[in-house]
Amino acid sequence: MTKLLQILLFPGLLFLLAYATTMEFIDRKLYARLQSRQGPPWYQPIADFFKLIGKKTLIPAEANQRMFRAIPLFSLTAVATAFLYIPVWGRQAVVSFEGDMVVVLYLLALPALSSFLAGWYSRSLYATVGATRVLTQMFSYEVPLFLSVLAPTLLSGTWSLSGNMAFFSRHPLLVLLNLPAMVSMLISVQCKLERTPFDAPEAETEIVSGPLVEYGGRYLAFFHVAKDCEVTVLLSMFAALFLPFSMGTPWVDFLLYLLKTGLLLSLTCLVRAVTARLRINQIVSFCWRYLLPPALLQVVLNLMVRGWIL
Amino acid sequence: MKLIEKAVEWGTRRSPWIIHFNAGACNGCDIEVVDAMTPRFDLERAGIIKQGSPRHADVLVCTGAVSLQIRDRLVQIYEQMPDPKFVVAVGACACSGGIFKDCYCVEGGIDAVIPVDVYVPGCAVRPEALIAAITQLLEKLEDKEERGRLLAAQKVKKEALAAVRENGGAEYGE
Repeated sequence: MTKLLQILLFPGLLFLLAYATTMEFIDRKLYARLQSRQGPPWYQPIADFFKLIGKKTLIPAEANQRMFRAIPLFSLTAVATAFLYIPVWGRQAVVSFEGDMVVVLYLLALPALSSFLAGWYSRSLYATVGATRVLTQMFSYEVPLFLSVLAPTLLSGTWSLSGNMAFFSRHPLLVLLNLPAMVSMLISVQCKLERTPFDAPEAETEIVSGPLVEYGGRYLAFFHVAKDCEVTVLLSMFAALFLPFSMGTPWVDFLLYLLKTGLLLSLTCLVRAVTARLRINQIVSFCWRYLLPPALLQVVLNLMVRGWIL
Repeated sequence: MKLIEKAVEWGTRRSPWIIHFNAGACNGCDIEVVDAMTPRFDLERAGIIKQGSPRHADVLVCTGAVSLQIRDRLVQIYEQMPDPKFVVAVGACACSGGIFKDCYCVEGGIDAVIPVDVYVPGCAVRPEALIAAITQLLEKLEDKEERGRLLAAQKVKKEALAAVRENGGAEYGE
């Protein structure tokens, strides 16, 4: 019973939705301030959501009706499930088992895939171009992301996020060893979230809005919520892996969690504000040339440290 | 149920996403529309975001007199937007046809083709006028009676549009 409440209310679904909404507001407000303007009021994401919920649903005649309706839910469900494995209240996640990091990584691959399918089943030219770009981009960031997420586990010897958090809380100095993977993951996370400079799949000035071009009304609202949740979940995962500093008291750790994710969000927002969009081929070559080597280096480094010191 | 309807109505007023469409303008008004989207005017304060796809948009910001070439496309774009949707005619040409009125290749103002909710005169309009127009539209929506009248007028026009298209579309091209 407590488990169910934890999954549905705190720190599960409800908290995720509330926090993701807040994160979107902070992101937009900060972005506006960086452009020296006032920015949206605090209720803006909520107003957008309700507006979209109330709009009439239009589905293109050529689109696959059933898939068109189901895909936004896939995306949201996968992200919300992944959040359960991430420690928020204290060092222990709601659910955890040996190897949950792999599950989380695969669940987090689903939003990109569903975005691809959304574009594909829309049967629209812009959507199809966007969908192929989503997939192309996915093939470039997934490898550095997986390597840099799994590299710290070579030190801790466990493939569970909660286990990693516990290990690195005991040995905080070892986090410094993971710096190359940290940088690599921070950039590939932004690539995964399709934020500027990696927003070629959306690129509203060239392909309107990519895979979501035919979506409107409540299905678009679900996609937006899924996107916000994805931002939150990925940043939380980053915080749990590379900034695993915790005091041991649950509420202090929770405050620390809010602080860490807030700082990470500000950092990614800064990157979004000061960069321009890269072309898709530039993204691919950037990921393979500059994100993969640090991640590989990290694997080698951690293996050596593991063999000689620990 | 009542609460959700209220929330939706509130949301509609607080987050009008606009799409800009040039129906045959000289580009003067278009530049002013783009001008209104700059950080200087900061339309995001009112929740206004410029969207690329008509399926995401609520307000169609339309410039220029409707030429025969663009007429069917304008109707198409309008019909791709999900309800509830609103149209703002920007500039003298969009309001009435302007200096292109009765030209051989011009249908007339925007309201000759699709229902228009707000007219913004000017050649070219100032960004302040455009912002005032959109905020006035939102204020109109706040008043229940006005809102009903607005939507009813849209419905009449839309039915007429559908009827014309059904009659072989002689008037609306092939």
